[in-house]
Formats: sequence, structure tokens, C-alpha cells
Amino acid sequence: MERPLDRLIYLASTRDYNSGIYYHDGLAAQFTEEVASEALADCHRQAFHELLASPLKELVSQFESYMESTPTQAKDFIATWKKIEPYRVAIPVNTDPLSAEFLFSNFKIALAVLEGRLQSHPKAEPGAWPLPSLGQ
Amino acid sequence: MIQLLLFLALGLGLFIALYFLMRPAVSAPGSADELRNARLALNVLQTGLLSSEVVHRIFAKEDLEYVSDGPMEIRNLFVAERRRLALLWVAKMRLQILNLRKFHLGSARFHAGLKMRTEVRLAAEFLFLLFTCRVLWLALYFRGVYAAPAIVERATKMAERVCAVSETSLGFLNRSLDSLRNDSVRNPTLP
Repeated sequence: MERPLDRLIYLASTRDYNSGIYYHDGLAAQFTEEVASEALADCHRQAFHELLASPLKELVSQFESYMESTPTQAKDFIATWKKIEPYRVAIPVNTDPLSAEFLFSNFKIALAVLEGRLQSHPKAEPGAWPLPSLGQ
Repeated sequence: MIQLLLFLALGLGLFIALYFLMRPAVSAPGSADELRNARLALNVLQTGLLSSEVVHRIFAKEDLEYVSDGPMEIRNLFVAERRRLALLWVAKMRLQILNLRKFHLGSARFHAGLKMRTEVRLAAEFLFLLFTCRVLWLALYFRGVYAAPAIVERATKMAERVCAVSETSLGFLNRSLDSLRNDSVRNPTLP
């Protein structure tokens, strides 16, 4: 997975909600459960820091690519993400609150950008704003 | 006359006894809570609030330039969000600096053995830093996130300096923890 956003979402999905431990059968069979969990936790933290350091334009582009990689329609995807805010449970444990709050805020803005783009221009180049209409 | 002198001596003796009873214990200055709070405040400042990555991103102008090319409502949302985060950052930083100052005012001198001159300079730095935080908060609140980059930089640098001195003051705690860890490694039955 090249995009940090994809990695963040995937790695968060390998983590148990109750214990906070990461599980991966393939890695656990090759190494041990503890080693696999620690390695996944490290990758999760790294993905989080890469996203934190990403400029907003890049984050919007990643979000758009991620959205297109799912079978859900863009309109439904945005509506669900705005309503449920799944990114709130996708961050690593022990993340400092300000960094977490900053990333949540960026996600909120990125969703607003994508929603605005979807309303005015159904299909646009990744990361770009819609072209102004002739009437503007 | 002798009776009066006896009563005076007794009164003086009681007064001295009272003084010694009321005097705070010098052998155990600073509670564990105070030390723990200071260590925690220092960690929060060093790993979160003064982390250049987060501060740089909050005040990055390239993000503003990106949203400025788009619709006005998204630009407004962006500016409001950045302002909220910047104010949160200053408020959190100020709170942790107050915690550190409490430690220095209370018990740091017993453990760190700071010189009088260093203590006075540190007190002035705390005072100036807290004042700078107030000014910064007002600037961000009334004039927006991008209004005072110089004050942001100055506050961050000052906070880093204060953290460095506090780190030295709390060094004894690290040494004690290290020796405790070594002891428990050598003798696993120790708690």
C-alpha cells in the first residue's frame, strides 16, 4: 500500500477494539503474535506521522483515491464519513491529543473539499479544484 | 519575679516547640504527585505541544493557499478550524508551563540544587513566557492564525529553553528510576 491513508485504515482494522492488540495470521505464523503485533503497531504509527506531515492538498488527493478504491458511491461515502467519522478510531493508541485533533480537522476539511467538488463537478483531476463554470 | 521568669521561659519553650512542629519537613520536600505532574507536563510539551511537525503544520501557509483557490465556504471552514487548533495549542502549552512552574516554585530547588541566579533567571523566563502565551492567544483570537508568526516562534523557543532547564531539574528522577530498574533486573523479587 503506497498511500499512508490506506495503510492507516487497514492497520487500524487489524487492531482489536477491546485489547488494542494487532492481529495478523500470516505474520503471526511466520514470527510470533507479539512480534507481529509490535510490527503492525510501528507501521500504524508511521502511517499516522506521514499523514500528519502531509499538506492538505496531498491529503485531499489521498482521500479521493481511497474513496475511488472502494465500491461505495462517492456521495454515499462522503455522507457516511461525515456522519460516522470513522477516522476517529483509526489513529494509533497513545497519540498525543493535539496531533489527533489536527488530523481529524484536516479530514473534516478534506471531506468538505471533496463534497464541494462533487456538487459542482462530478469528476475532476485528483487534488485539483473544479474549473469555474462559464457563467462565473 | 522568679515566678514571672519561669512563666516567660515556659511560654518561650512552648513557642519554640510550636515553631518546630509547624515547620514543613525539609527531609521530604515535594510530594510524589508534584514530581509526577512535572514529569508529565514535560513529556506533553516535548513530545506533543512543541513537536515541530504539528506546530509547523498548524501554521503552514501552503494549506491556506490551497483552500484559497476554492469556494469561500471551504476557506472559511479551514480558517475557523486552524484558529480553533492554534488556540487549543496555546492554551495547552500555557497549562503545562504552569504545571512546570508550580514544580519549580515548590520543590525543584530541593532536588536540583539550582543556583540562586539560575532560579531568578528561570522565574523571569516563566513569567515572560506566560505573558507571551497570553499575547499570542489574543493575537490568534482577534487577528487569526497567520497574524503573529514571530510570536509563535518566540514562544516555542522560550518554551523549549524552559523545558531544557526543567529536564535538568528532573534528572534526579530519571537517575532514581534507572537505579530502581537496575535493582529490579538484578533482583527480580524486588517490587
